[in-house]
Amino acid sequence: MRTWRGIGLLLLVVTVFSPRVLGKVYVRWTQSSVPAEKILGINDLVIPWSDAAKELAESAKKQGYHVYLEATLEQSASAAAVSASLGAAGIVLKGSARDESKLEEAAKSLRTQYLKLRILVVSPQGKQPEMRGWLVFNKNGILQVSSPTSQPWLDQNLAMVRYERAFQSQQAPLYGFSWDETDPLVKENGPSPADYSLAIAEAGALHSDLILEVHDRQQKGLLSGEKQTLSDWGQVKRTIAFYERPNKQEKEAAAVAVLTDDYDTTYEEINLMARHNIPFRVLNSADVKAQDLMGFEVVIAFATLGKDLTEGIRAFADRGGVAILVNLPGAYPWDSSAEGKKGGSSVTYSVGKGRVIEVGEPVSDPETFAQDVRRLMDKQRIPVSLWNSLTTLVVEYLGQKPGEATVELVNYDEESTQVQVQVKGYFNSVRFESPEQGCCETLKPEHVDGFTDFVVPNLVSGGRVHLE
Amino acid sequence: MHWNRALAVAGALMCIPLSSATSPETKLLLVHKTKYAMGTVYEIAAYDESPQRALKAIDQAFVEVVRLDEMLSNYKPESDLSRLNRNGHYHAEKVPPDLYRVIEESLTYSKLSGGKFDITVAPLVDMWKAALRGDRVPTAEEQQKLRACVGYEKIELIPPDMVEFHSPCMRIDVGSIGKGYAVDRAVDILRANRIKNALVDAGQSSIYGMGAPPGRSAWEVHLRDPSNRVDPTVMLSENSVSTSEQTPPSLLGNETAGHIIDPDNGKPLETKYALSIVVKTGTASDALSTTLLLVGPEKGKSIVRELADAAAIWISADGETETVTTGPQIRLLGKPEAKAGMERGLLGSPREK
Repeated sequence: MRTWRGIGLLLLVVTVFSPRVLGKVYVRWTQSSVPAEKILGINDLVIPWSDAAKELAESAKKQGYHVYLEATLEQSASAAAVSASLGAAGIVLKGSARDESKLEEAAKSLRTQYLKLRILVVSPQGKQPEMRGWLVFNKNGILQVSSPTSQPWLDQNLAMVRYERAFQSQQAPLYGFSWDETDPLVKENGPSPADYSLAIAEAGALHSDLILEVHDRQQKGLLSGEKQTLSDWGQVKRTIAFYERPNKQEKEAAAVAVLTDDYDTTYEEINLMARHNIPFRVLNSADVKAQDLMGFEVVIAFATLGKDLTEGIRAFADRGGVAILVNLPGAYPWDSSAEGKKGGSSVTYSVGKGRVIEVGEPVSDPETFAQDVRRLMDKQRIPVSLWNSLTTLVVEYLGQKPGEATVELVNYDEESTQVQVQVKGYFNSVRFESPEQGCCETLKPEHVDGFTDFVVPNLVSGGRVHLE
Repeated sequence: MHWNRALAVAGALMCIPLSSATSPETKLLLVHKTKYAMGTVYEIAAYDESPQRALKAIDQAFVEVVRLDEMLSNYKPESDLSRLNRNGHYHAEKVPPDLYRVIEESLTYSKLSGGKFDITVAPLVDMWKAALRGDRVPTAEEQQKLRACVGYEKIELIPPDMVEFHSPCMRIDVGSIGKGYAVDRAVDILRANRIKNALVDAGQSSIYGMGAPPGRSAWEVHLRDPSNRVDPTVMLSENSVSTSEQTPPSLLGNETAGHIIDPDNGKPLETKYALSIVVKTGTASDALSTTLLLVGPEKGKSIVRELADAAAIWISADGETETVTTGPQIRLLGKPEAKAGMERGLLGSPREK
């Protein structure tokens, strides 16, 4: 049983935005008719705005779908009006990263205008989850850039989702992406069921919503009842069913806080931290208060600190925390209180029981930076870690009751993998469930030095571990 | 900016078209697959008239890589290497032919480098890897104790398939040669399946170019450049390139360890260079990349001059380069933001030091 008070674990408890359902998948449909709802296995359909969209939306609605019209900023007013007249579920606004603030404004305005419509904004930053190699293709051949690390590169959406959660308060993180069709077989046949399942598993594990593009050939196969397509889609439906579930208000465990005000300038750093399974939370520096830093072990500031937050950082370090200020020149209280220890482009100041590290320039190597952050964390206080699982990401959610937790695992490799997991605290019951094998396989926990260790023997695309 | 990709895009702008090695009438399609094995991502990109045939060949090549991973892994307890590490002390242990061959090749490079390349540094590597993960830096006494377990001369090969360690605590780690060996075996499989134009990449440890992409005479590969301004580029065709570089120093003033250990002092190698070497096989390039990084440019150049069809380049973070070749050309394209005075040139040209 996890004894929270006893171990005094300094975990930050993050209240995840609370929609009624987690891991909702919207299918983006581009054909002129839709199959029966039971064939598709979902009831939320996104239809791109076009001349034919109204007719298709009407037909889909009659078939029982919740229909959302997808519109750009320019199309948003018309799409909202049509959606309202059809009694559709809502609209989805999409645009480039440059349009993001305008889309938010438009969404805000439409929400007040159309109270019955759900007005959603899709993040433009979503990408196809996959394990990538390092070869870079162009039409003339292949280019390759070497790197000091041979660690597999995972294209994942964890950093973006955590950022969205901090900056987008009106809805759960929602993203989509276009499939990479460089491979002629993918271009012709569409992504594999495993590709779809990984995308759904990732979004579900991150408690995000996903707009899933379905390849034209597969849409046609579903419409015509083509046997192989139906069989393949059966696997996809199983994954959708596994991840869409009621929101139990679970809270994400985090030990590192990232203070930022800009996605683009900090994305690589937080992306690499996500890749290294560092449990962090993004905080909007404009809103954050000194008390919000309580419970974290490391605070990384990328945005200018005001007077109150500077004092908050000093108090945080005084209590034993480690604060890292990245490229934030200025006069700070700790500068005069202690002789700094220089190392490369950084200066470290001892402050009370902790320290403040000032990095004098932007991060030149996000990979090394992420590894540095990992090394700064006290091993005894890391909420969750994976061993020998370089293709897997992990997120821990704390249950509403003390002594309960859920660990979500996502494997980006095409092959299934064995995963060694270590979770802070003692748990006697460890049960694993997955889309492939359902609920639940009992795993053997080992209690070691304040942690529960267990092995997930066969993780395909994703799975969930319940700890009590 | 997207990490790594930005560098690649910069490289793309400097892509130089070369003469065609493939008949323009032949429509070749690209098939590209990745596979996680040996703790990294293997990639194979193949151009072929039949994507199905290429796909089948790539899958077979990956099966071979996985088989070798099962054999050569030093952290899978059931691997043949782990078994040898458990049982080979003062006892001749029978090993599979591939493991025997990898050890045999390793000893060749150990002798060539005067012991700088040494697969018996496993105990020291493990100790320093733990330090990299955040464990404390080992004491001098702990280091000394483990150094007594190291020394390639204590490995005895008993043909055709037996290995014995003449040390009570020796363990070997073929991480500095195994990926290159697996690349060569993957190339063999592709050739056996009539694939002529392919690139095999073992997580950048070693890259082998077979034939060429359509319309090109070879595969253009941009090499690791810690200065980000030299942009060394090599054309691969029936040869391999490998890169070695020590773990970069901490940005936050942490005490930094490193994953490449100098057997002479048992400590992480201190070097300012990244090293790339081009030779005929993946096994050789993988082993030589570690070797040449360890010995440095001066001795490294003399080693390379004894090899046929080899070229190497050492590059520091401030753009200093040292080069040597006995055949292959490494072009130094230079990035647009390169310092004034940085010349474009070819390795082997008068720029060679």
